[in-house]
Parts: sequence; C-alpha cells; structure tokens
Amino acid sequence: MKNILLSFLIFSGYSVCAQELFTWSEPASNMAAKGIGIRLNNTLMKENNSGKYNYHLLPEVMLGLSANLMIHVEGFLSNADDKFTAEGAAIYAKYRIFSEDEVHNHFRIALYTRAAINNSDLHQPAIELSGHNSGYEAGMVLTKLVNKIAYSAGGSLVHATNNSRDKKYFVNDGLRNAFAWNVSFGKLMLPKEYTSYGQTNVNLMMEVLGQTNFGNGRSYVDIAPTIQFIILSKMRLDAGYRFAMVKDLGRSATNGFLLRLEYNIFNAFK
Amino acid sequence: MKKIIAAIALFISFQSFAQIRTVNLQASGLTCSMCSNSINKALNTIDYVTNVKANIKNSSFEISFKPGAKIDFDLLKKKVEDAGFHVAKLTAVVNFDNEKIENDRHINLNGLVLHFLNVTDQQLNGEKTIQVLDKGFVSSKDFKKNAQYTKMECYKTGVTGSCCTSSGLVAGTRIFHVTI
Repeated sequence: MKNILLSFLIFSGYSVCAQELFTWSEPASNMAAKGIGIRLNNTLMKENNSGKYNYHLLPEVMLGLSANLMIHVEGFLSNADDKFTAEGAAIYAKYRIFSEDEVHNHFRIALYTRAAINNSDLHQPAIELSGHNSGYEAGMVLTKLVNKIAYSAGGSLVHATNNSRDKKYFVNDGLRNAFAWNVSFGKLMLPKEYTSYGQTNVNLMMEVLGQTNFGNGRSYVDIAPTIQFIILSKMRLDAGYRFAMVKDLGRSATNGFLLRLEYNIFNAFK
Repeated sequence: MKKIIAAIALFISFQSFAQIRTVNLQASGLTCSMCSNSINKALNTIDYVTNVKANIKNSSFEISFKPGAKIDFDLLKKKVEDAGFHVAKLTAVVNFDNEKIENDRHINLNGLVLHFLNVTDQQLNGEKTIQVLDKGFVSSKDFKKNAQYTKMECYKTGVTGSCCTSSGLVAGTRIFHVTI
C-alpha cells in the first residue's frame, strides 16, 4: 500500500493562497477562471472493529468556469467491501458571493452544494458524501487571509438518500439529516521571504471537522493536521492525519491518513 | 495595388496608439507565490504582453508590451480578477509629446482618453508615470476618497457622459481617470 501511495508523485497548483488550500475542507476562494485542476486523493482509514485499513482513491477534476464559479467532479473507488471497486461519483459547485481584497489580505464568502451517488454498503449513521453515502448538501464557507495566516469556517446541511443498487439507508429515516462544519487554520511556514516562483512553500494546517445528526443529536468531532508542500508555485502535495476527539456519532473508521496530489493547468480553455 | 497598400499604411499610421512603455500593477488579496503565479500566467496570455516581471513579496508585476500595441487597462484588470484577485494599484509609463494637461479635464492621446485629477496644469513631455484611479484600479476606500477631486459623473461610470461630450467625444467612450 505504501508503494501505491508513494508512487503518486505528482503535485498541484491553485489560485487561492497556499495557506488556505485546506486538505479536508474547501476555502471560500476559487481557483482561477479557465483553469483545470486534477487531484488524486488517497485515504487510508483504519476500521475501528477489525483494525483493517480501507484504501479509498478519489480522483477529482476541478474547473474554474469564471472568477466566481467553480465545479468539481469526483469519483470514489475503494477496497472497503474487500474488492477494489468503483463505488460512486459526486459533483460539487462553489460560488463566491463576497470578496474584499486588500494587499496581502482578503475576506471571502462562498456558497457551495454537492450531490453524490454511491453503491457501497453502509456501515454507519454518520453521513459522508465523499465516498460513502448517496445524498446532497448545501453550505456556506467564510475565509480570511492575513499575510501568512488563513482562517476558514464553514457549515452545511447534509441529507442522505438511499444508496444505489438497492442498498437502502440502513438506519431509520429520522437520521437522514445532519449539520456538518469545519474550522480550519493554515500558516505559511516557508519560505521566510519570497524571491522566486521556484521556492518550495511549506504550509502547516490544523482543521477541526464535525458533524451533528439532527435525528439523534449525536456528534463527531475530528482533529486533522496537515503538512503541505507547494513546488514551483504550481504543484502540490498534502500529507494529513485525521483522528476523532468526539465519537458519539458512530462511524466504522474514524482515524486515518490522507495523501493528496494535485496538478493544475492554468488558462486551460478559452 | 500600390494605392491600396499606401491607403492601408496610412490608415495603420493613424491607428498608432499612445505609447505606453510599461505598466506596474499591484494585486490585492494574496500573499503566496502560487497566487502570484496564477496572475503572472493570466497576464502572459495577453497577445501584446512581451514580459511580466513579478515581485512576489509585494504582489506586484511589471508588464512590458509590444511597441505600438493598444494597451487596454481594463483587460489587465480582468486578467487579475479572473485569477481570483483584485487590482490595488496600476501605474503606467506613458510617452507624452508636449501634451497640455489641466486639472479635472481630459485629453485624447490617439484613442486613449485620460482625465487628469489632482494635478497642476502643465505641459507633459517625455516619459511620465501616471496612476489610474478608476473603480477597480484602486482600493474601494481610495476610490471614495478620490471622489473629492471631481464632480463629473464620468468618474463613477468610467465613460464619457453629458459631463464631457462637448469636446467631440462620443458618449460612452471609455475614459480613464488618472493622476501623476
């Protein structure tokens, strides 16, 4: 498995500032108009009962349709049901509704929505549209950048539908709705002073990710630190870990690693 | 055929635009080199841009152009905005040929209409640096502050209106408000 992860040695580029390129959440900023981004998200999550690691591969294509509107299309593959198979796909759209820029700082607000389909077996009441559940969500995110530090906070309403191939939502219908949220913080650590686009940027990020189910009031809260490398001002590699602080809302796998590789093509289309 | 070529040549010579040697643009909303690079790449897609020299630390870009090209400040701004950011300051080095300027009046430099604000009346000769003060070319705070220098509506609209058509400009002509 290590070899698979290490073999994906491609990186990324993006138009929002590096210290707000969060790994487990999206900032309010968009990618550049007419840009295309390609991501390979790899997660390795440890099953709480068996101790087995499930590998999820989430390829993702991002399009900057305008300065304010971007869409992502994601695919979900995993070996969670023992055989490595394609399990679903999602479409995500984000629209920036507010932007206040000054030199070396900005404040932005964006609205976003996601619709996902998935055919995997459901093992948990927590709703996860990126790789587990069919469903949809709508939310808002606010991001503030000040010099080398970025803060972001977002919240969304999430609704789970039945998974495809007759894999019904396995818990009672009263648990289909939840509130998901994140509070994220990022700091540009290196370089100390910019001299060229060739310098490698190093960012440290800390994210707090939570969900509360409206049906039973139960929640989970995770802490997710990430180290991120930006190479040649256009390529990106994120390595992160996520672990649960509050486990009241059941999940089959709470702790695990993420390796994200991203490649961005600027001005890819007219 | 010769006549046609001569006519075309004559037409082209009348199309020579105000000579802008370089533009220095500072962008707002970013800190890191990757954001700076996305603006750098966007500016380089303009066909008459020959070179973009980026200062990542200050989020500024010195842009050089093909000789004789018609420089469109609005296009430069759009490229920055499409990359996801805004223009905080834009200055241009313009070659003047004994142009008489007056405060709160405009001049027409071969199609580039400049309306001077907060200047003393003077004769401009040779290369001078002007700063564009229009909406979107300065911070919104500065745009409001600079409104004290004129009462003309073209400052807000960016195009010639009833305030400035008396000089023969067609209403709706793009007009850039600048200072020295």
